[in-house]
Amino acid sequence: MAVAARTAESAEPILRLRGVGRRFGGLEAVRDVDLDVRPGERRAILGPNGAGKTTLFNVVAGEFPPTSGTIELFNHDVTFMPARMRVGLGLTRTYQTSRLFLGLSVEDNLYLALVGVEGGHLRPVRLPGRDGTLRSQAREIAERIRLQDQLGAPVRNLSHGEQRQLEVGMALAGEPRLMMLDEPAAGLSRAERVQLTEMLLGLEREITLILIEHDMDVALTVAEYVTMMHDGAVIVEGTPAEIRANQLVHDLYLGRGHYERR
Amino acid sequence: MIAGARGRSGLAIVFIGLLAASPLFVSDFFLSAILTKTLWLGIVAASLIFLSGYGNMISLAQTGLYGVAGFVLGNVVAADGGLKVAWDPWVGVILGLVVATVVGLVFGAVASRSEGIYFLMLTLAFGILLFYFWGQVTQLSGFGGINSIQAPGIVSKPRTDPDNLFYICLVVSVAVYALIRYIVRTPFGIALQGIRDEPTRMRALGYNVALHRTLAFGLGAFLAGISGILSVWWNTRIDPGSVGLGRTIDVLVIAIIGGIFWIEGGWLGAFVFTAIDTYSRNIDWLGPRFNTLIGVIFLVIVLVSPGGLIGIWESARGLARRRSGAGAGLPPGAPAERSG
Repeated sequence: MAVAARTAESAEPILRLRGVGRRFGGLEAVRDVDLDVRPGERRAILGPNGAGKTTLFNVVAGEFPPTSGTIELFNHDVTFMPARMRVGLGLTRTYQTSRLFLGLSVEDNLYLALVGVEGGHLRPVRLPGRDGTLRSQAREIAERIRLQDQLGAPVRNLSHGEQRQLEVGMALAGEPRLMMLDEPAAGLSRAERVQLTEMLLGLEREITLILIEHDMDVALTVAEYVTMMHDGAVIVEGTPAEIRANQLVHDLYLGRGHYERR
Repeated sequence: MIAGARGRSGLAIVFIGLLAASPLFVSDFFLSAILTKTLWLGIVAASLIFLSGYGNMISLAQTGLYGVAGFVLGNVVAADGGLKVAWDPWVGVILGLVVATVVGLVFGAVASRSEGIYFLMLTLAFGILLFYFWGQVTQLSGFGGINSIQAPGIVSKPRTDPDNLFYICLVVSVAVYALIRYIVRTPFGIALQGIRDEPTRMRALGYNVALHRTLAFGLGAFLAGISGILSVWWNTRIDPGSVGLGRTIDVLVIAIIGGIFWIEGGWLGAFVFTAIDTYSRNIDWLGPRFNTLIGVIFLVIVLVSPGGLIGIWESARGLARRRSGAGAGLPPGAPAERSG
């Protein structure tokens, strides 16, 4: 892992944030964040509730623009680019609370994610060849997230854990270059978390990964580099080992008890 | 959708066959006043169900848009009132549908960025706007409406020889039904359902949600326009009262009685509505209390089955399946368009 991290150091960052801030009226949810993420990196963003992690995610994904600063994605200035245009650059994301199409089947959910990337959103006809390819790709993703037996099931009938798996699957569609996962392990059982960790560790190196995660086992196992946020600002950056050893992080977030158990 | 696609289509074919044979065994009055009216009224209700069930756009402009097609038709063909241009009746049909679709696209573009109650209120405003437009622009109609509108020869005389118009309405209804069933399984239609469920995710996946909604609204206007044309042929006239708030509520009631989540509900609701409307007049003690009666039926249905009459049928099927122990699971590959 150290080797991979060092090669990543030398490459140009694919995501570059400079002085990014986001204000909601009187609340400064994110302030003056600088962030560089290099290709292939596995980055975790940690911080207590209200630290501004999800707001930072939303700004990077284009849900709303920052109120200050600039964002560069794959060498494009995307600061004010609408969310739907960023998919074309290879950015996909998941949501803290699942945003799935509950009235559609698992296969249709993944199919829509693929069509979103591949184009032809407005096509009012079925094309057996093209749709056949897209649907077989959808089934491949379903296999990767272990939902191959639920292809035809309406998503509203899935369990919470299965919906979280599909949430990750939606971000896998269309060969993403940067995946942003917002608390993928939220509400998962221990066994499901182990499965999720294995799947994230098994992701190709072509995919850069940024994840927000409260579960330390998942976050510090998957991540090679950790950004710690508090009150909207980045306070510490480092490897998981450095983060575990950092006294400031302990006081803010981990707590002494958690540390000693390790 | 709990029912498998095959069972659903099979049932639809049985109904269509029964309808196709009905001129053999029903009276002319029933054929025209009940069945033909059910068919054209069902189309405008189906356009509303398409928008609300698949796009989460409850539109109160469908009657107004249906009126656009009807009034344009009335103005450009031989008629008593309007512009009296006396063009070919088929030119009127095409112009009516084109104008209704264009107006629908413009309305859709305005309303597509709002959701829920705001969308509802905007479309209500569109409907009222159209009502007053036709009422106050006397060159085009006025509150007296346009009478004796000429229909193509193929329509024959709906009052004395109802078979032709019945079959036209049947063929068009089947085409509209098949078109909607087809379109909701295309990328456009599946994406529309995605927008219904999670517009935010759809944006993040790269879709232009506002454009998608606008185009769906245009399609809804086109379908409503078809219904407007047929209604003009059936009534031989149109006036602003045909597209007023009362009719708008009627169409909403029809869609909800039938089942707001199933396209078939449009025609089922239209049948129940038309039958009650027609026959309740003959019940002495009921007198002119049609609205009370339909209102009570509406309330009972909303309370008992939010999915309307088709919802009751679907629940019964689900119950029967669970009883028989066959399991309520979906057969693999079955479309999950909507599980009410």
